[in-house]
Amino acid sequence: MTTKPSVSWQKNPALAWREIDDATVIISPTDSVMHELNDTGSFLWKNIDGRRSAAELAGLLAESYEVSPDVALTDTQALLDEMSTRKLVVPIPATGGDLR
Amino acid sequence: MSAPDANAGGGRQQQFEFSIGCVPFQLRMSDARLYRDASLRYAAFTEASSQPIHIALNDHSIAGSQPADFAYDFEGAVLRADSCKIRFDGVRNEYALDSLLRILLSWKLSDRNGFLLHAATVVRNGKAYVFTGRSGAGKSTVASLSPKGSVLTDEISLLRRENGEWRAYGTPFWGEFRAAGSNTSAPVRGIFRLLQAPENRRTSLRPVEMIRTLLPNVLFFSSESEANRRLLEIVGQAAEEMPGYELAFRKDPAFWEVLPA
Repeated sequence: MTTKPSVSWQKNPALAWREIDDATVIISPTDSVMHELNDTGSFLWKNIDGRRSAAELAGLLAESYEVSPDVALTDTQALLDEMSTRKLVVPIPATGGDLR
Repeated sequence: MSAPDANAGGGRQQQFEFSIGCVPFQLRMSDARLYRDASLRYAAFTEASSQPIHIALNDHSIAGSQPADFAYDFEGAVLRADSCKIRFDGVRNEYALDSLLRILLSWKLSDRNGFLLHAATVVRNGKAYVFTGRSGAGKSTVASLSPKGSVLTDEISLLRRENGEWRAYGTPFWGEFRAAGSNTSAPVRGIFRLLQAPENRRTSLRPVEMIRTLLPNVLFFSSESEANRRLLEIVGQAAEEMPGYELAFRKDPAFWEVLPA
């Protein structure tokens, strides 16, 4: 799956999450599965707000972690794809409504 | 334990009051056998309270049309809870009753800064040492290697944060369904993730390692988002505030030598 630039992302509202140390721990209540995001994943998670696209999130990542925009975009898209596969995030089109 | 009560349809209604981890319950039932079994199993936890959580056990006179705040089906025994009352239906034996009690307690504790954990707890010098791990990790072994009377539970521990302090409580939930435990508590000295090994060794765990250890061993049965958020907040706080260790141990009491005083 590849993220589309026009899509913004929101956290799955059914989830419970908490930051601890440099990680984010997420529980999926429906299947009692625990997920853990590393430092970079946690940074993205904090900034996923239902409005920002992958490109915008990558811009924030590049700024904070001093990586090139291309690398940041590749990493961001890979992380969003992974989180989407695990149903941690949900894509929503720029015009509103979600894509589920 | 209180005296038999008035008849409420069917058999003679009796009630039994007890408290686990300072969470008070009152069981009302008309089944004499279940009453006797519950009285024996929870004898050490008998305690009257002015505001217990009322549980109607197999009371067919109560209509159940209202949507439940929380419901759980355990092998045909059903727990239904709403703001007014709690019902256990289809309870045929003490095993089913015990299971529904654990489920109810886990739900009630999330509003009281607490949770149930697969863990043995041993009190030494007034402090609680909590040994956690999955089945086979060594909880029962650790309990059996500890002095008689010092073990609060060998199977399921109850942890609560009270006035800024974490305390471990005894529970009646013991391995192999033994009727044991004491209704006492002690401040937690540490949580120890068990690992059976040829040598005794203690290693500190970071909070993120602690939450990784705790969450799979927490008893929790709600799939409701808000309840899971509360639970994660409490367990996260526990991971940050209680000292956590991995305890590699061999099967003899010498493992106590590597534990913090």
